[in-house]
Amino acid sequence: MPVSGNEIHLLIPILGLAVNVMFQLLSVRLVPGLGVLRSVFTGFTIGGLSVLSAELYLSGGRLTREADVVPMIIANLIIYGSLGYCYFHFINLGITARRIRILRELYVSGEGLSLNELLKRYNAGDMIDKRLDRLLGSGQIVCIDNKYHIGKPVMLLMSKTIVAMKLVILGKRSEFD
Amino acid sequence: MKVLVFGLSLIFIAFILHLIVWRIRLPQRQVKTMLQMFFATLTAGILALWNAPPSFEIFGISPPDNIWEYLHICLMFVSLTLAYMITYSALEADSPSLVMVMAINNAEPGGLDKDKFGEMMSDDILVMPRIKDVLLDRMVYMDGDKYRLTPKGALMARIFIFYRTLINAPEDGG
Repeated sequence: MPVSGNEIHLLIPILGLAVNVMFQLLSVRLVPGLGVLRSVFTGFTIGGLSVLSAELYLSGGRLTREADVVPMIIANLIIYGSLGYCYFHFINLGITARRIRILRELYVSGEGLSLNELLKRYNAGDMIDKRLDRLLGSGQIVCIDNKYHIGKPVMLLMSKTIVAMKLVILGKRSEFD
Repeated sequence: MKVLVFGLSLIFIAFILHLIVWRIRLPQRQVKTMLQMFFATLTAGILALWNAPPSFEIFGISPPDNIWEYLHICLMFVSLTLAYMITYSALEADSPSLVMVMAINNAEPGGLDKDKFGEMMSDDILVMPRIKDVLLDRMVYMDGDKYRLTPKGALMARIFIFYRTLINAPEDGG
């Protein structure tokens, strides 16, 4: 059966994701001080460039109909972007998600935990301390005379955007409404 | 062009259906219900395209010609659906950073007193809802007064413990 190009186009974003994951893992392990977030950007960029290069190579090899070159590149970049976004969230879940932390604490305990035991290992105090460090460190909030104020507006804008999305999709501002 | 147009059209239809249903009533298990709705839309859409008459066109574009194009549409739909599901999960629960920043913003221009801030951020707001989530998602069950992992919960824990080892993440986190 001759290769039409359709089957190769289907594989390109999946291979792009594989390149992304490989470079993210290699960079976070091999480059000292790079940090997880920068390794994610590195992997995502290299994966995206590999998708683009493969598509351009296929169009040069006439495996893509001329009228389909740009739509196919857009389609595969959308698919790659979505898969890369899912991978980023997978990493984020493993690092910051409260549900995953609860599951990990229960797994490590082996025998299960009562509510008090669980809260001794993981509680709002721990969580707040970590996030306060991050927010104060990045200047998103500032502490003046024992009072917290908004510093740089980036995190506030992101929070307002999320609240607006909650209102549109869920019809409420908060899970406690 | 077919992959782009039909892939995006199907996801748009699924999204509009989801918004309509959510406006009528919020399901108890939202992500599960949403996944069922999105995949029902994909199945119905693919079957409709497969059985469409030769004259059928959307924006002057006829249905896919071969199985690879159908698979490509499915891949686009699934990847966008997964990305949306993940974003939705983040919307469903209030993130601690969001709660903190919004509490401080609501207290402006005077600012939020450190002690009052500590009182507002309790286990009831930040931890208990997530414990309820893992119970509702059947990743954890109650055995007397103990919380224990179900096989699904243990699998999830193992996946993330393995991944954290892979990226040299610190012991705590979350």
